[in-house]
This record gives sequence, structure tokens and C-alpha cells, in this order.
Amino acid sequence: MEKTGENRVKLAIAYDLLRFEEKALYNEAQKLSVPVEMMHVDSLSFDLNTSDYIDRYDVLLQRCISHSRGLHVSAIFEAMGILAINSYEVSAICDDKLLTTLRLSRKGIPTPKTRVAFNQEQALKALDELGYPAVIKPIVGSWGRLVARVRDREEAAAVIESRASGSNPNDHILYLQEYIKRPQRDIRAIVAGDELIATVYRYQPPNDWRTNVARGGTSEEAKLGDAEREILLKAAEAVGGGILGIDAMEGPSGIVVHEVNSTVEFRGASTVSTNNIPRKMVEYALRVAKR
Amino acid sequence: MEFECEQCGGQVQVPKDALSGELVSCKDCGSEYEIMIDENGTIELKAAEEVGEDWGE
Repeated sequence: MEKTGENRVKLAIAYDLLRFEEKALYNEAQKLSVPVEMMHVDSLSFDLNTSDYIDRYDVLLQRCISHSRGLHVSAIFEAMGILAINSYEVSAICDDKLLTTLRLSRKGIPTPKTRVAFNQEQALKALDELGYPAVIKPIVGSWGRLVARVRDREEAAAVIESRASGSNPNDHILYLQEYIKRPQRDIRAIVAGDELIATVYRYQPPNDWRTNVARGGTSEEAKLGDAEREILLKAAEAVGGGILGIDAMEGPSGIVVHEVNSTVEFRGASTVSTNNIPRKMVEYALRVAKR
Repeated sequence: MEFECEQCGGQVQVPKDALSGELVSCKDCGSEYEIMIDENGTIELKAAEEVGEDWGE
């Protein structure tokens, strides 16, 4: 039953940069008459020795654009006893492609064949075994940045050498994947708890093989079969659940899940989905906060 | 509310319903600014950050 008056669920939305998504979540919360507070984390400091926030909020929607900032905001709220969506643990898994793949793979979700190496020579050997073309990705990063498709050993060596020479230790972890022969699109599913709230195809722009909307990819609503929908929901469950963006590809033997996003962007999906995505997200937050 | 662009001296408009963390840009040169609103409601603009290494979904 909906709480009323003082008993209503109080929602905090933490963010660093206000994007379309955060504003849409705020507007939907207001339309639902939910007490909502926007928390611009760059304008605040947090007292780690208090639990005062427990009286002010019931649930947090963590929407920071910076992974490390967001991760720690979730940790602060959770320590104060407030439900964070997504949790520190789920965010930590999704922010790291290696950890995501481990979870997906252990739970039997189809994913591309993936190797990891900590040394250039071992990375090249692993790629020989995976075969070419192959994909080299950073373990941390979004929007398709630094994702490289390599056609042969020579190209792979150049990409690996440039990664290994950088100062970011994460770039020295060489995450290598088979290249999936897919149509010129992939699937983005948005999940809230155990519900698929949007499924869209993302088409690659004419000048790029990546489909990220941030790279100019375009969206279209996807009608998926029950088996595919089940895999996408299981993928969300495998990383710990919450509000998630699941990225999958249609390979020769069915769909494979290659990424799960913990601060999912939905501007592109909103233009084609029949569901009100931000409303569904707020409703989910209210539902789990009441449990 | 109107601010002066640090880069070109042009006009930067901040809407009435602006929230802290929102991006605005200069009409003349396109420079981007992040709106910062303190506890007293004072509005300041700071040059928008470049895309950070750990930014994303």
C-alpha cells in the first residue's frame, strides 16, 4: 500500500553532472508526489561518522557520471543504512568488465569468449587462441572508449603496446574478446529488478562499428523472444540486480551478453520505448524501499 | 539570470529552474559551464570539466 504523509518513501538522487536522465528521474518523482532531493555531490561533503541521513532518506538513486565517485557515494549511503540503487557491490562489478564477465560466465549467461592477460606476450598468445578479428577493451570505461577491433597480430601488438605504456594501471590489464559476427546492431535492455522496462536495438553509425548512442548510434524498439528476455533478466540477476543496462549481441548461435551498465543512460531508449523508463525506475526504487 | 562568459565576454543564460550540476553554454563562443549553487542559493559558474577517465554508464 502506498505510504502517506510522513510515512512516504523519501528519495535521494545523487549526481555529479545533471544530464537528461537525472532530470527525467527527478521530474517523474515529482509527478508521483514522492519527496525527492537532488544531491549534487560536488557541492556537498559527507560525514562518515554519522548516520543522520537515515532519518532523511529511504532510498538513493546513485546517478554519478564518474564511476569512482558513484561507487563511493553508494558505499556512504549503505553504511548509513540507506538502500542504494545500485549497491556498492553491484556498481563495483558492473564498472569492471572483468568482474562482470566472471559473474555472467559463472551463472551460465552466454558471453563472448574472453581472455585476460597481465603481460603483452601472454596477451598475444591468448589472442592467437581466440582468433582474429578480436576485440581489446579497457576493463573500466564506457561509451565504447578505447575499444579496439584488431584484424591481425600486428594490429593487436600495436594496440597492446600502447595500452601497456600508459600510466593507468587498469590499462595494463589486457581484456581480450572474440569478435562476434553480429548484425549492424546490438541490444540494450534496461532492467529494474525482475522487470525488463525497455529493450532496444542500437544501430551502429555509418562510420563506426560500435553502437553506443554516445558514438552516434541510433535506437529502435526491439521485440525479443521469451528465451532472449530470460537471458537478459538472468544477466541482471547475475551481477546482483537493481537498475541496470544490459548490452547483448545477436551472434550466430543466439544472444551473448557482453556488458552490464550500473548507471544506465536511457535518453536514446526513451525516444523509442513504449514504457516511461524514468517512471518505471522511480516506481522500482519506491517498491524496494518499502520492503 | 545572465553571466558573463570568461572566454569571450558573451552572455551565458542560467534558467530560473536550474539545478546545481547542470551544464550551460555561452551563446557566442559555445564554452560550457557547470552551474554551482551553494546552500544560500548563490549561483556560480565554473568551466565544465573535460570528459573524465572514469566517466560513463
